[in-house]
Amino acid sequence: MKLREHLTGETLALAGLVLVLALLPSLATAFFVNFVMTQTLILGLAAATIVFLAKYGGMTSLAQLLMFGIAGFMFGNAALDGGARGLNLGWHPWAAVGFAILVTTLVAFVLGAVASRTTGIYFLMLTLVYGVVGYFVFAQIVEISGPGGITSIQRPELLGPPVRLYYAGLLLSVLAYAGFRMLGRTAFGLALQGVRDDPVRMASLGFNVPLHRALAFTLAGFVAGLAGLLNVWWNGQIDPASISIGPTLILLIIAVIGGMSSLAGAWLGAFVYVLVLTYLRDLPLVDRIGITEARFNTVIGVIVLVIMVLSPEGLTGIVQRLRGTTRKELGGIRP
Amino acid sequence: MASTPASTPASTPASTVEVRAVTVAFGGLRALRGVDLDIARGERLAIIGPNGAGKTTLFNVIAGDIAPTTGAVLIRGQDCTHLPSRHRPRLGLARTYQKARAFAGLTVRENIYLALAGHRGRHRALWRSSADRRMRDEAAEAAARVWLSGQLDAVAGELAHGQRRQLELAMAIATRPDVLLLDEPASGLSRGERERLVELLESLDEQLTLLLIEHDMDVAFRIAGRVVVLADGEQVMAGSPEQVRADPHVHRIYLGTEAPA
Repeated sequence: MKLREHLTGETLALAGLVLVLALLPSLATAFFVNFVMTQTLILGLAAATIVFLAKYGGMTSLAQLLMFGIAGFMFGNAALDGGARGLNLGWHPWAAVGFAILVTTLVAFVLGAVASRTTGIYFLMLTLVYGVVGYFVFAQIVEISGPGGITSIQRPELLGPPVRLYYAGLLLSVLAYAGFRMLGRTAFGLALQGVRDDPVRMASLGFNVPLHRALAFTLAGFVAGLAGLLNVWWNGQIDPASISIGPTLILLIIAVIGGMSSLAGAWLGAFVYVLVLTYLRDLPLVDRIGITEARFNTVIGVIVLVIMVLSPEGLTGIVQRLRGTTRKELGGIRP
Repeated sequence: MASTPASTPASTPASTVEVRAVTVAFGGLRALRGVDLDIARGERLAIIGPNGAGKTTLFNVIAGDIAPTTGAVLIRGQDCTHLPSRHRPRLGLARTYQKARAFAGLTVRENIYLALAGHRGRHRALWRSSADRRMRDEAAEAAARVWLSGQLDAVAGELAHGQRRQLELAMAIATRPDVLLLDEPASGLSRGERERLVELLESLDEQLTLLLIEHDMDVAFRIAGRVVVLADGEQVMAGSPEQVRADPHVHRIYLGTEAPA
């Protein structure tokens, strides 16, 4: 009974997808795996934290890219030695990983605790302020961000070959996806959904509403920090511009493209974004109609617009609707 | 927080709930004007009055959803005037809302489960699966008491109105409260559902203190041992159902103008 509950069509489809992704390095070109797919997994993991907060907690956060950036900067500061950029603490790479994640999680807890008494548009604005202030902190305190960013960041030896970074991204993505889904069924996850639906009711049932929001924000910050580490290893560098307002909005757009109520949609959105980013210039004739790389954001904007008009639930919503239609045509009944 | 445990305190106070000279002002509007109320342990009290009389405001003050502008609220002898609502379930308080406020996205079982988890402040249970056996059993038991056994895995948002009210009740009684506040439990129910509601309320533990806001006079007068009439934020009269029914003043301000549905 229990096993059957979990063996839904959706779970099987996702398991199949993970299998294909695991075999991908022997099926696709190194460029596709190490550039397109690794980036997709990293951005998807970060965007999934936005979806997690929105879906289970009813909080739309614009601070997730800041967490992503903090983890990257902290790793850079701790792991590098010599040279002129950052603090150059020269720690062992894994000590630097622990330090980066610890700092990110602590910052997320503090920021989450402050933001936990706000909801809706006020929460969105407050987290936007976090993002902007965070950007200026790193842009102006060059001691921790290096003039023009921290460069030549090496990843731990374990993740040396690029394909291993891809697998690390895949592993963390699967863990985060399964973890978030499972968390939704624990008492904490239920309480979080209760807080999303009716905070006043939750308080009268005896729940500490701000604490639940703050803990969810902390967890999302932790996961965004993991994505930030992968990102800094993949990029080899990080600079303050990479966490400015533009990229902050891009991460939200990725979540919106996939669908804010679907965890899997975060990776789908990231995939679409990376595909457009990577291959737009290769499309025949696009430069003739005036679409150059400089207009990349316009193209992304148009894509978001089209998706929002077709389905407010993003690509996942479109997929679900198509599946619903097929099922109806086949005479099947929705479970 | 040195809150009294849910068990009976050493010296049982005369009143389970005391409302002392409570005034609530929303800007210029005075929703309550110096209301005093003593509710003894095990008492069944109905609060009636026309719309806008301040009934729900009084509930919100007792439940801690709003703080009174002046005055005090004591629960089991403890001054709770400014105690946040989330600490009150641990004093044995449970409430329902006028508009059913079950969590629409969760199942019946999960809704009751949340009521149980919140009431006990079971932070250790936070990480446990919602399938925890004891909680499951207790949730099933509460659902059975309100005739929702067949709907345990139904999503609350998809329940019929009457069933959603039953779920509200299940969430309130699942925690085995000492004080139960019911805000119009019979509103929107069919005749048959009202009968079952009365049956259920009559079956509650004798030690339970019950406060009831009700527009359905039939339900209110059958359940309550004492009836308090509010109008314009003030207590107009209090007495047995018979006294209140016979009072011409009450008739004029309430029963006469608004026939029971």
